[in-house]
This record gives sequence, C-alpha cells and structure tokens, in this order.
Amino acid sequence: MSKFLHHFWQNFKEYLILIFLIIISLYLITLDSSPKTQKIRAIVFGSLSIINSVISDVIEFENVKAENERLRATNADLMLQLSKLRKDALLIDELKNSLNLKDTSKFQLISSRVISRFSNSSQETVTINSGRKSGVEIGMPVINGKGLVGIIFSVSDDFAVVKTLRNNTLNLTVKSERTGEHGVLKWKSNSLRIINVPKTYQIKKGDRIVVSELSSIVPIVVPIGVANSLENIETGIFNEIVVLPFVDFNKVEYVFVVPVVSSKQIRDLELNLLKKFK
Amino acid sequence: MKYTFLIPFLLLIPVLILQMTVIPFLSFNGISPDLILILLVFYTIRNNQMYGTIIGFIFGGICDLAFGTILGSTMIAKTLSGFIAGYFSSENKIDSYLTPINFSLIIFLVGIIDNSIFSFFSSFNLSENFISSLLTNTIISSIYTSFISILVITSIPKRRLFE
Repeated sequence: MSKFLHHFWQNFKEYLILIFLIIISLYLITLDSSPKTQKIRAIVFGSLSIINSVISDVIEFENVKAENERLRATNADLMLQLSKLRKDALLIDELKNSLNLKDTSKFQLISSRVISRFSNSSQETVTINSGRKSGVEIGMPVINGKGLVGIIFSVSDDFAVVKTLRNNTLNLTVKSERTGEHGVLKWKSNSLRIINVPKTYQIKKGDRIVVSELSSIVPIVVPIGVANSLENIETGIFNEIVVLPFVDFNKVEYVFVVPVVSSKQIRDLELNLLKKFK
Repeated sequence: MKYTFLIPFLLLIPVLILQMTVIPFLSFNGISPDLILILLVFYTIRNNQMYGTIIGFIFGGICDLAFGTILGSTMIAKTLSGFIAGYFSSENKIDSYLTPINFSLIIFLVGIIDNSIFSFFSSFNLSENFISSLLTNTIISSIYTSFISILVITSIPKRRLFE
C-alpha cells in the first residue's frame, strides 16, 4: 500500500499540489470579508504603503510646480465664488433656523493623497495616505472636487485602501436629480451602469446622477456623473443606463474622506423590521 | 547557493511596489502589464512545475492582500499560471524558452489563462458577453504584458539568465 502511495505521489505530485492549493484558494474566497482577513490585509498593505508613499512623493514632486500655478488661478476663482456662496449660506441658515432643521452639511473632511493604485478591468483600488490615526474608518465615502471617488475598504494606522466606483463588488443606490428615480449603480462591462432600470423610467441623456439618500453605503448625497446612453433596450423589461462619471479615476491624486459612516441605528431598525415580518 | 529559491520572494517586494506606483502611469482603460506574472513565469521556467505552482500561490496571496482584490481570486489565477508555465521548465530547453520571442509567447499564453481565471473569480458575472470581455480585457492585457516581458528579458544579461 505504502509503495503504491509512494508511486502515486511520485507520478502525480504536481497535480496533487495544484488541487490542494486550489482548494485552499477557494476556501479563502469565502473568508474575504472576515475581520481576521481585514487585519492581515491592513498589515500587508500598511507596510507596503510606507515605501509606496516615499516613491509617490518623489514622482509627485515634479508635478508640484505646475499644480501650484493652477491652484493659484483656481484660488482666485474660488474666492469670487465664495463671497457669493457666503451670502447664500447666510440665507440658508436663516431658513433652516426658521424651519428648525438640523445642519447635516458640516463635515471635517480628511484630506489625503493617492499614493498607489491597482486597477484591472473589474476591480480598481487606490491606497491613500490617511488611516485610523486620522480618523478614517471602513465604509467612509471618499470624494474629490468633482464627486464620489469610492468607499474605504480597509484601514491601517496610517493608510487606507479605497474601492473606487470602478469596482464590480460595489453596488450603490443612486438617483436621477431631475426625475428622482432610483436605481443601482454598478461597474459592469468597463463602464458605470445603472442596472435593472424599468423601461417606464424617464431618465434621459444628460441627467445628473447623484447618490440616493436611500443608499445604505454612502449616507450623504454626492454627485456621481451624467446619464450618457440607454443600453440593452431590445431584450427584457429592463434597461441599463451608462453613466459618465464626473471623476476621472485615472487622474485622481488628492481626495477627501468624509468622516461619516452609514447609520448603524437605521440599519438595526431595518433589520428588526425584517425579522418581524419573517 | 541553496537559497536561490528565495530570490523570487525577495524580488517580489520591489516588483509589487513598481506595479503599484509606476505601472499605473503605463495603463490605459484599466489595462496594464502584469510584472508579477513575468517574475512568476521567469522563475518557473528556471526551476520546475511544482516550484512554479507554489510560488504562484504565494505571490497570488500577497497580491490579494496588497491590492485589495477578493482574497483567493489572484491566488487561484497565479497558482494555475505557475502550473501552466511549469510545462515550459524543461532543463534541456531552458535556453530556447528564455529567448525574447519564446518567452513573450509563453507570457502571452499564461497571461490569457491568468486574466481569464482572475476575471471569472473576481466578477462572478456570467451574464456579460464573455467573448467581448475576453477580447477587450484578457487578450489586450496579455499582449501588453508579453510586450513588456520582451523588454524585461532583453535587459537581463545572458550570463545571469542561465546561471
């Protein structure tokens, strides 16, 4: 028997090892979002990010001069806009006070820089140089001046990994600002799409798409892009709407983490409600 | 001399950093060359199939943790890539397999397998047009990686290539 086993191992050891390693990999897929995996992930990318951050600083240095010039011009422009907005803000505060509304727009944004990036056709992540020490937590939305960039996926002490919208594991509830119709935004076939949109929906090309207030992932309304075209019109009862994002994901360098996570209280209430109906 | 099997692991760290910092500047439409695959295939050809399968598994695991992809998806892809590359690890033919043209063709073949398996396990979406996805992502990405592999293999001195 042992001779047979020895002979079997000698002849098929490559295949046996391959099968064994594939089984382990398949098992690990099921552990992807477990807290232990997140901890190990944070340690690995945290250590790599320290080196990435230094290299990224060197690369960035070349661009700083040109960037400064551009920022000076933007500053002047923003100063003019700010004076106008101040007037409007005073008016809004007055109206809010008179209606007794809570102010939910004041967030202490955490500014960060992208130090490395990983992208392929189905998943894109970027690493930013803010982590737990700066108050960053898993699930916080990440934005830049143009709109939503993504969601914090993993955090170490000084760095965090952001799943950008170009990631097929991120589904987001969005709505059309004009019609108020909701849908689920997903990265699919190399474009951002609102999937399973009923044909009765009135969303048209050029409509602004923003995060819906119903979203359980991003609890604030942030712009995402504009509806560009309808697809898959002939088959089925649903359409897909291709959305052109405002954010140019290839050029994202500086981002802001919005220090807010979707309300656990609301989620618990909803789960309790579901349990009651079961 | 007997610790030469550790060299790919030492090289993996600078290659990972290059992949995360410099390679994004060379990418277009999310398509970028895979330096880790080049490293894996190179050392598999120089060693043997079992070695390739095991380092593929380890490289994949580290990539999944560092890049934030689904844990296990790159692992499976790179394990199978190492296994397939192992078929080109014959001691008698190593000189011919490590010539730029042959090496880039091996990279192209392994790249197609690597990208297809990774896409399958990372997206779980069978409703998409598989052929168009294969054409746009897998093949173009493999061609890009195999082109870069020519530059890599020609930049290594011959003396070191076969030592």
